[in-house]
Amino acid sequence: MSVSELKERHAVATETVNNLRDRLRQRRLQLLDTDVARYSSAQGRTPVSFGATDLVCCRTLQGHTGKVYSLDWTPERNRIVSASQDGRLIVWNALTSQKTHAIKLPCAWVMTCAFSPNGQSVACGGLDSVCSIFSLSSTADKDGTVPVSRMLSGHRGYVSCCQYVPNEDAHLITSSGDQTCILWDVTTGLKTSVFGGEFQSGHTADVLSVSISGSNPNWFISGSCDSTARLWDTRAASRAVRTFHGHEGDVNTVKFFPDGYRFGTGSDDGTCRLYDIRTGHQLQVYQPHGDGENTPVTSIAFSVSGRLLFAGYASNNTCYVWDTLLGEVVLDLGLVQDSHKNRISCLGLSADGSALCTGSWDSNLKIWAFGGHRRVI
Amino acid sequence: MPMKKKMKEEEEEEECGECLFAEEYDGPPLSYNIPCALPINMEKIPVAAVVSPVCISDNMSFPVIQPILAVDSLGKKFLVPSSVSPTSVIDNCGSSELELVSDSITVSPEEEEEEGDEDCGLSSSGELLLLRSCSSVNHQESRTLDFCDSSVKENELSNPLVPDWESNESVLSMDYPSSRVTGDCCVSETNGDGKKQQVVTFLGIASDDDGFEEEEESCNQKRIRVVPVKKEPQTKGKKGSCYRCFKGSRFTEKEVCLVCDAKYCSSCVLRAMGSMPEGRKCVTCIGFPIDESKRGSLGKCSRMLKRLLNDLEVKQIMKTERFCEANQLPAEYVYVNGQPLYPEELVTLQTCANPPKKLKPGDYWYDKVSGLWGKEGEKPYQIISPHLNVGGPISPEASNGNTQVFINGREITKVELRMLQLAGVQCAGNPHFWVNEDGSYQEEGQKNTKGYIWGKAGTKLLCAVLSLPVPSKSTASTSGEQHYSANSRSILDHLEHRTLQKILLVGNSGSGTSTIFKQAKILYKDVPFLEDERENIKVIIQTNVYGYLGMLLEGRERFEEEALAVRNTKQCVTENIPADEGDAKSYNKTVYSIGPRLKAFSDWLLKTMAAGNLAVIFPAASREYAPLVEELWRDAAIQATYKRRSELGLLPSVASYFLERAIDVLTPDYEPSDLDILYAEGVTSSSGLACLDFSFPQTASEENLDPSDQHESLLRYQLIRVPSRGLGENCKWIDMFEDVGMVVFVVSMSDYDQVSEDGTNKMLLTKKLFESIITHPIFEHMDFLLILNKYDLLEEKVERVPLTRCEWFEDFNPVVSRHRGSNTGNPTLGQLAFHYMAVKFKRVYSSLTGKKLFVSSSKSLEPNSVDSSLKLAMEILKWSEERTNICLSEYSMYSTEPSSFSN
Repeated sequence: MSVSELKERHAVATETVNNLRDRLRQRRLQLLDTDVARYSSAQGRTPVSFGATDLVCCRTLQGHTGKVYSLDWTPERNRIVSASQDGRLIVWNALTSQKTHAIKLPCAWVMTCAFSPNGQSVACGGLDSVCSIFSLSSTADKDGTVPVSRMLSGHRGYVSCCQYVPNEDAHLITSSGDQTCILWDVTTGLKTSVFGGEFQSGHTADVLSVSISGSNPNWFISGSCDSTARLWDTRAASRAVRTFHGHEGDVNTVKFFPDGYRFGTGSDDGTCRLYDIRTGHQLQVYQPHGDGENTPVTSIAFSVSGRLLFAGYASNNTCYVWDTLLGEVVLDLGLVQDSHKNRISCLGLSADGSALCTGSWDSNLKIWAFGGHRRVI
Repeated sequence: MPMKKKMKEEEEEEECGECLFAEEYDGPPLSYNIPCALPINMEKIPVAAVVSPVCISDNMSFPVIQPILAVDSLGKKFLVPSSVSPTSVIDNCGSSELELVSDSITVSPEEEEEEGDEDCGLSSSGELLLLRSCSSVNHQESRTLDFCDSSVKENELSNPLVPDWESNESVLSMDYPSSRVTGDCCVSETNGDGKKQQVVTFLGIASDDDGFEEEEESCNQKRIRVVPVKKEPQTKGKKGSCYRCFKGSRFTEKEVCLVCDAKYCSSCVLRAMGSMPEGRKCVTCIGFPIDESKRGSLGKCSRMLKRLLNDLEVKQIMKTERFCEANQLPAEYVYVNGQPLYPEELVTLQTCANPPKKLKPGDYWYDKVSGLWGKEGEKPYQIISPHLNVGGPISPEASNGNTQVFINGREITKVELRMLQLAGVQCAGNPHFWVNEDGSYQEEGQKNTKGYIWGKAGTKLLCAVLSLPVPSKSTASTSGEQHYSANSRSILDHLEHRTLQKILLVGNSGSGTSTIFKQAKILYKDVPFLEDERENIKVIIQTNVYGYLGMLLEGRERFEEEALAVRNTKQCVTENIPADEGDAKSYNKTVYSIGPRLKAFSDWLLKTMAAGNLAVIFPAASREYAPLVEELWRDAAIQATYKRRSELGLLPSVASYFLERAIDVLTPDYEPSDLDILYAEGVTSSSGLACLDFSFPQTASEENLDPSDQHESLLRYQLIRVPSRGLGENCKWIDMFEDVGMVVFVVSMSDYDQVSEDGTNKMLLTKKLFESIITHPIFEHMDFLLILNKYDLLEEKVERVPLTRCEWFEDFNPVVSRHRGSNTGNPTLGQLAFHYMAVKFKRVYSSLTGKKLFVSSSKSLEPNSVDSSLKLAMEILKWSEERTNICLSEYSMYSTEPSSFSN
C-alpha cells in the first residue's frame, strides 16, 4: 500500500467520522427539548439568593511572592497546599492561616499541586514534565529544602494537573501537555497505564485538567485543548469511554459533580458546561450574558450539594457563583469586600464544603466561608 | 565595548533612516559615566541630613542647617503640650481633624485619653500628620478585616485559643445579621462608611506616650541619617490594653508588632497579624521595614505564639521573620568609614567568614588591613574578616583617639595604647604602625615585621580586661563556617532572588537552542555535568548512535534494492541469456550487500527501531552488540552507504560526527567529552524546561574598566530554555515567564531550504513562531535578542543553494563582487545573507511592535561565539535597566532617546 493511497484512505475515514459526529450532534439537538435551567424555572424554582455577608472572606493566606497557580485541600478539611510561581509549595493550616511547610521546588515553574488522601505527602508538577512527590514528614536539610521523595517522570510535556485517586495514597493521575493522562503507582514510581497518546484514541491536543469521580474511583474525566472532555475508565486504558463535544475553545478545567454522574467544565470560550456521563448529553451551558468578549474560565468547583458552581475567570478578579439549577449568576466574588486584586487562578472547596479557598495571581489565597444562617449549600 | 561596536556595525548595514540606531548606541557609555561621576564626598554627607528633620540634635555644628532649624524649632514648640499656637497650617488641619473627632464621638469610653491625644497629635512634627492620613487609607482596608473577624472577639469567651470552623461559623451567623443592620442598608453605603472611618481613624492618633519618647530617644542615640518612615499604631483603647479588643491590662501577655509597636492579646494576635508572611507584623504593616530597635527580637519566638500555634507553624513564622526581604537590615542605614553601604557591600559584610556581630544602623569604622571594627568615635569592638571591600577609606579620627599613635592610619584610643604598651610594643615617639590581620606589626615605611601583637598569652587576657577585641581564630574556622551555611545562605538566597535576571531562550526545534544552552553550561559552570548526568548522556549518545546506524542500514537496504534493480534492467536490456545458479549468487551481490550474520543484526535493529523501543533495551544492548557494530562499521557495504549519506534525508548532520567514531562511542567504558555532549542530540530534553543559573566570569579587561562593576559579580543570570512545542498563540504556560528580563529567539539560518513534515518551509515556520511570540501580550515591553544561529552552516550552504529558495527571501540579490575571496574588504556571500536575514527579521519586528530588535549571529558549536552572544544579552539587560533609571531621573537630558527607541 503506498503512502498516497494511505493518505487518501485516511482522508476518507476522517470525513466519515466528521459526518457521523455531525449527525450525532444533530440527533442530540433534536432530542434536547429542554435544559436544566428551563426545566427548573418551569417548575417554579427560584435562584439561591445571596446576602452581602453570606459569603465572606474570613482568612487571607499571605506568604507567596508569586502568582498562585494551584491549590488543594486535605480531606480532613483544614489544610491546604498551594503552588506558586515563586517556586514554592506552601502547606497552610486554614484555621490559623499559618504555614506549616514551605517547600522550595527544584523547578520553579509549577502548574499543579495535590494533597495525598492521608495528608502525609503532596504532589506537584509543572514545566519540568515531572510529577514530584514530597513527604511532609521528611525533615528539611540545612538550607530548608525538603528532599523529593519520588519523581514520576515519563511525560513528554508539561504536567498540567495531578490528582490522587480518592482513598488511595499509592495512585495518582496526571494530565500533561503530551496529550496523555497517566495513572501512576506512587510506591514504585512507575506508570500503571497511559491514557491517550500515539497509538490510542485519546486527546488530540494538550490535556489540561483531570477530575476523578468521588463515587467510582475508576472513572475520571479529562479536559483538553482539543475542546473536548473525555471520560476514562482506569481499568481500560485503550480508549476513552466517552467523548464530550460542545465547547468551542480549550477546556481548561473539569470537575466531577458531587454525585459522580455529572461533571462540569470550564473553557476558553467563556462558558462552563454541565454534562451527564450516562447519556453523554450536555445538560446546561453557563454563559455570562452581555459584552461580547468571552473571558476564559480558569477554574471551577461545585458546592457539596452541587447547587452552586464557583467559576474563576481570566479577566480581573471575576469569580462568579452560578446557581447550577437555574443557570444564573447569583454572586460575583470579585465584587465582594476583600476580594482578590488579580485573576483568580484556582479554587477549591474543603471536603465538608464549609469553606471555599481561592488562589490568585495577586499571590494571596483567600478562604471564604458562609457567614449567614445557611451553613452548607 | 567590542560588542557595541559589533552591533553598531550591524546597524549600519541597514538602510533607510537607520542612522538613528547608531546614535542610540552612543547612549550606554554616557550613562555609564554618569553614575560614577558622582564622587561620594565626606564633606557632602552631612547635607543629606536635611532629609531627616526629626532626629537632628541641638548640637548640630554643620553650617547648612538654616531650613532645618526652623522645622526643628517648630517641633520643639509642639513638644510643649499646652503652648500650641494655632497659626501654622499643620496646626490648623490637626486641630480641625481633632474637632471632627470630638464631633463624631458619641460615646467615648476613655475620656482622659482625649487630652493625651491632642498632645501626641500635635507634638509630631508634620510627619506624623502625613502618616495619619495614610493610615486612614490603610484602615479602610483593615476595617473590613475587623468586620468579619468580629466573630473572634465574641468567640474568645468560648474558646479563644483554637478558632474553629464551627464556632467561627456559628458566631458569624449570629454576628452578621446584627452587624448588618447598622451600616449596610444599601442606601447609606457611603454614609455608613464615612461614619465608621471617622470613628476609627481619628481616634487612632492616640499613641503610647512611652513609645513615643522611646522613639525620640533612640533617634537621638543613633543619629540615623536616613530615617525610616515609622508607622504609628492606632488604638482607641486604654493604655496597656490590646489594640484590637481593648481588653486586658498592661500585665496581660501580648505580642508586639515589629513595625508599629501595636500590641495584641492572645485572642487577637492571629486576626491582627494574619498569616504573618513577614513575621509578627500587623496586616497593615506588611511590607514596611521593621523598627530597628526590635531587630534583636527577630526570630525569637514568644511563649504566646508557641501556645497558640504548633511547632511547625512557629518555625515557619520565625524563619520568614528572619529571612524575608523586608526585614533585612537596610544597607543605606549602615555607614562604614563615612559611606553608606550598597546592598551588595552589606551582603559581603554579613556573609564573610567572621561577620560583625549585632549589626545595627549607624556609623562604623573598619580597618581593612587588620580587620578591626568599631563604632564611629569609639575603640575597636571586634575583629572581623579583613580585606572586605566595603565602605570608604578609614579616616584618622575614626575612633576619636588622641594618642598620636596610629594603626593603619587610624589614631588609636588610650585603651588601645595601653594594651599595646602592656603587650610590649614600643610606642615611644608616636609611631605609625601597620598591623596585619594575623597581628604582625611593622612600622610604616619599614619592611621587617617587628613582632606579633597577639603572640603573648597574656595579651588576650589583657584585652579581655580592657574589653578590647581579640582575633577569633577558632570561630573563624568552624562556627563561622556554620554561620555562613545556615544564616547567610538564606540572606544570599533572598538577595539572589532580587538580582537574578532571567533570560528566556526560545526557538523552533532544530534551531540550536539546546546547543546554546549546553554551551552556556560548559562555559559558565565549573562542573557542567555531574557524574550521573554524564552517565545518562552516555546512554543517550549510544542510543543515538544505534539510531544513526539503523538509518544507515535502512539506507543500505534501499541502495541495494536500487542497485539490483538497475543491474537487472541493464542485464535485461543487454542480453537475454538467463544466468546460471552460481552466477546468480554473485550476481545478486552488490557493493551494498552484507553477510548473513550482519544481515540478522541489521534486521533486528531495524525491527526494534520500528517498534519504537530502542531506548528501552539500552544500555544492556550496547555491551552485547558493540563487537558486532565494529564489524558492521568496517564492512565495505556500510562504508559505501556512508559515502552516500547526503541522500539519507533522516540522518542529521551531526550523525557523521558520531558515526565516524562509532566504535569508540559504543564501547561500554566510553566517556563522553564536552564536545561530544555538545554535539549530542536529546541531552536537554526537548519536552521539558531546562534552566541554568550562572554569572559571567569577570575578565581582566572588564575589571579595570569600571570600579562600580565590582558588584556585578553578584549579578546572576538564569538562562531558561523552554520547549518549542505548544509555543503557539494559545500557549497555556507562557504567562509564567512574565518576569523574564529578555527573550532570546534563536533561528537556524541554514533552515531556509529545509522543509518540515507537512511541507512548509522551516524558515517560514520560524517566522510564524517569531511573530506569535513577539506579539504576545506578556512580552509587550520585553527586549528581544535574535540570535541567527548556525552561521557556519549558512556560509557553506549559501554557496550551493541560493537563499531565494525560501519564498520569504525572494528579493535577495546581493551585489557579489567578482573578486570575492581575493579582496578581504568585500563581504562574503554568507555575511550578506546574514545581514539580509537580520534586516528581514528586524522589519517584521518593528512593523509589529514598533520597537527595535537586537540581532547577533552565532555558531553554537563554538564557545566564543555563544559567549559573545550571551554577553550581548547581558549588555542589553544592563542597558535597559539604566535606560529606565535615566528616564526616571534625568529625563530631560535624554529626551531624544525615547524617540529613537520608538523606531
